[in-house]
Amino acid sequence: MSDTENVLEVRDVVKAFGGITAVDAASFDVPDGSITGLIGPNGAGKSTMFNLVTGVLTPDSGRIRLRGEDVVGEPPHRIAEAGVGRTFQTPKVFAGMSVRENLAFAAKDQTGESALGALLRPGTVAKEEAEIGERVQETLEFLELDHVADEYARGLSGGQRKLLELGRVLMLDPELVMLDEPAAGVNPALTDRLLERLHELNDEGRTLLLIEHDIDLIMNNCDHVVVMHNGSKLASGPPSRIQEDERVVEAYLGGGE
Amino acid sequence: MADFVGVVQTLLYGLINGSVIAVGAVGLTLSYGVTRFINFAYGELLTLGAYTALLLVGMGLGLPVAAVVAVLVIGVGGVLVARVFYDPLSDRGALPLLITSIGVAFVLRNLVRAAAGTEARQLPVPLMRPWVVAGLRLNPVDAGVMIAAVVAMLSIHLLLQRTMLGKKMRATSGNEQLARVAGIDTDAVVRRTWLISSVAGAVAGVLLAVQFPPFRPTMGWDFLIVVFSATLLGGIGKPYGAMVGALVVGVAMSVGTRYVATEYTMAYAFAILVLVLLFKPEGIAGGEL
Amino acid sequence: MAFAIPGVASFLLSIGTLALIYALLAIGLNVHYGYTGLLNFGHVAFFAAGAFTSAILTVPPPGPNAGYALGFGLPMPLSLPVSLLAAAVVGGVLATLVGLTSVRLGSHYLAVATFALAGIFEDVLVNEEWLTRGTFGLNSVPKPGRAVLGADLWQVSYFVFALLLTGLVYLVVERLIDAPFGRLLKGIREEEQAAGMLGKNTDWVKLKSFAIGGMIAGLAGGVYAHYIGSVVAVTFVSLVTFLVWVALLMGGAGSNRGAIVGAFLLIAFREGTRLSAVNDFVVSVLPFEASATLVPSLRFVIIGLLLVLVVRYRPAGLLGNPDELVLSEGGER
Repeated sequence: MSDTENVLEVRDVVKAFGGITAVDAASFDVPDGSITGLIGPNGAGKSTMFNLVTGVLTPDSGRIRLRGEDVVGEPPHRIAEAGVGRTFQTPKVFAGMSVRENLAFAAKDQTGESALGALLRPGTVAKEEAEIGERVQETLEFLELDHVADEYARGLSGGQRKLLELGRVLMLDPELVMLDEPAAGVNPALTDRLLERLHELNDEGRTLLLIEHDIDLIMNNCDHVVVMHNGSKLASGPPSRIQEDERVVEAYLGGGE
Repeated sequence: MADFVGVVQTLLYGLINGSVIAVGAVGLTLSYGVTRFINFAYGELLTLGAYTALLLVGMGLGLPVAAVVAVLVIGVGGVLVARVFYDPLSDRGALPLLITSIGVAFVLRNLVRAAAGTEARQLPVPLMRPWVVAGLRLNPVDAGVMIAAVVAMLSIHLLLQRTMLGKKMRATSGNEQLARVAGIDTDAVVRRTWLISSVAGAVAGVLLAVQFPPFRPTMGWDFLIVVFSATLLGGIGKPYGAMVGALVVGVAMSVGTRYVATEYTMAYAFAILVLVLLFKPEGIAGGEL
Repeated sequence: MAFAIPGVASFLLSIGTLALIYALLAIGLNVHYGYTGLLNFGHVAFFAAGAFTSAILTVPPPGPNAGYALGFGLPMPLSLPVSLLAAAVVGGVLATLVGLTSVRLGSHYLAVATFALAGIFEDVLVNEEWLTRGTFGLNSVPKPGRAVLGADLWQVSYFVFALLLTGLVYLVVERLIDAPFGRLLKGIREEEQAAGMLGKNTDWVKLKSFAIGGMIAGLAGGVYAHYIGSVVAVTFVSLVTFLVWVALLMGGAGSNRGAIVGAFLLIAFREGTRLSAVNDFVVSVLPFEASATLVPSLRFVIIGLLLVLVVRYRPAGLLGNPDELVLSEGGER
């Protein structure tokens, strides 16, 4: 039986590319309702871990459980449906679509997404579109992107793209939000706002898993931290304990940034 | 049917065809290695090679001399084509290049057609009695074609392994950015690769014209899928893989035509291509070749 | 009372009808490439599938020396809707089969795979003579209503029919694209991986796109078969696929209006330069004696150059949106 207090459980996951083992028997938990920070030096396997959890990659061995349910081998869209949303280290926005369309895309269960629904049920589609439009507007305002709502995502700055990606994830309305370096490339004023937003999301009951290089940011905002090193978990626990962990200090300072 | 000689004969024809395909496939794969787009105009180099040789023969040159001159002319011509059509797009990614190559194929094929007409033509290849050894037949012309193809491939092998240019080509093909950081003038490497690739295409064209007369302006375009098939089977961008892939495709076409259904010669190459794409898109040569 | 139209009008109508057939093909390809980003280099196969479906359904049942084994002789013009619907369905089914094999491939490999599959399909059509009469073709495909209307009135009527049909397809596709379905296709075109992470089954959606574009191409095949009255396997070559590409890119990928405009420009150019007056003029200004193949060859040289120039200088085409579909990104493989 798995512990239902964890949204995500990773057990002995291994992933190798050619001769290089990127993730080597990693095991960790993401507690329900937490803001969990995933940290570690470059090449520790953090982004690979994200790709494994979201189904982009399939582990060579090991188990990944969402709410106790094994999701290894499930395609990405199923994992998304199961309540996982993520962003990418380099944002993958839909460049040739407006910011509004980017957000509307992510809404779940749209009747008009089927060709027949779009042709034969215009009333339902219009009603849903109006609802989606409202949520898009809320999200735009929440992320303070409303002034660029009708611009093509192609024209957004790096920071704005990060926000747009977060917005798309919010439209998906997932239980577990996984953010790959959400603050990288975002200017400091915006970062503070972003963090505020993340805490609001957490207060709504969502679990957050962040990859971040900024240790201060992690220590100040997370309530659980997982440290990865050379593809496996080095330590985990509350920030206060992690900060004093000798191995972590050594891995970080010894490894260099 | 347990017709042993027939089987060996079929394999032999397959190897001869395969060696011609190999020259074209190596040329295509080399240019893919440094430019990273699938060149749909590559077949036209074969056509141009054959027709240039024909033109020179018409001007009174003997076939061997005409062939050599044609190959050199088309080698340089290939560089010019790349200069005019592909270089200006080199910073826009692979897709515009791929689509441009289709336009270039239209232009080149129809220039040949405008100049030479659509009638079937042939190079002055002497008719010769085949040698017969233990029931196996081998036409001296086919033997010559195969030897020429092997010499062409050996030259490319020596060029890749023994020359500075070869090293630079392999470095650029492996990782262009890294090669540039290491001080390699990658633009020059790309130009020379176009030269070698075009020379190989022209050689394949002349050999094809000699082996399967008569030919028309569509010969290269029609042969393109065969070359693609060999190239992808060997793993695109890998010259030695392309050679192996070509022999497999040549034998498959020969065996299929002899023992499965005669009217589907080209379809065997097409089918190999589709199967490779479906089941092993990285090609048979998984490693570094 | 006989209805007669002047020769010029007849010529323009024939160009117009052909252009409408190409417009349908271009709209189908636009669903694939313009909206979903699928590099379909085998479009002609779906067109051919539709054309032969309509032909086989409506040619007379084979007599003793017919040279073909299947012909259902559906009565015309009553069965025209059946014939065209079947053409669309078969085009869609073939596209779905091609999609099933290839939809997971990276974009450039998809181009090569569809190109090769269309080549195999053409080979089959040419060689399976019992079905297609090979290089002779099926030459008694009925032209619906021609016997009643007479040649000239029929030409006008068929043009109007093709126009209405194209208009209908245009409206349906526009509606699909404006709906969330279109948003779904475009998202996959822009960033397939991100679309998957947002809960969309991208392979399934691409398959649907394949099917819809293939149905439209199949329908075009049916319209073509009943217009020309004869369907010959060797005419369904890769050249057709690439002419449709030229039309779409010239008009503007990602725009259905662009697809239609591009098709009209392309066919107007191709057929216009076939006029003997044009031919004579070109031959007269040339400083040397022209062979019979010269002018037709130059026509395709110019079409090839057009493609090169559009890609280089106006990648959004005439009516495409430069912010939306940029022919410079994507397709790492």
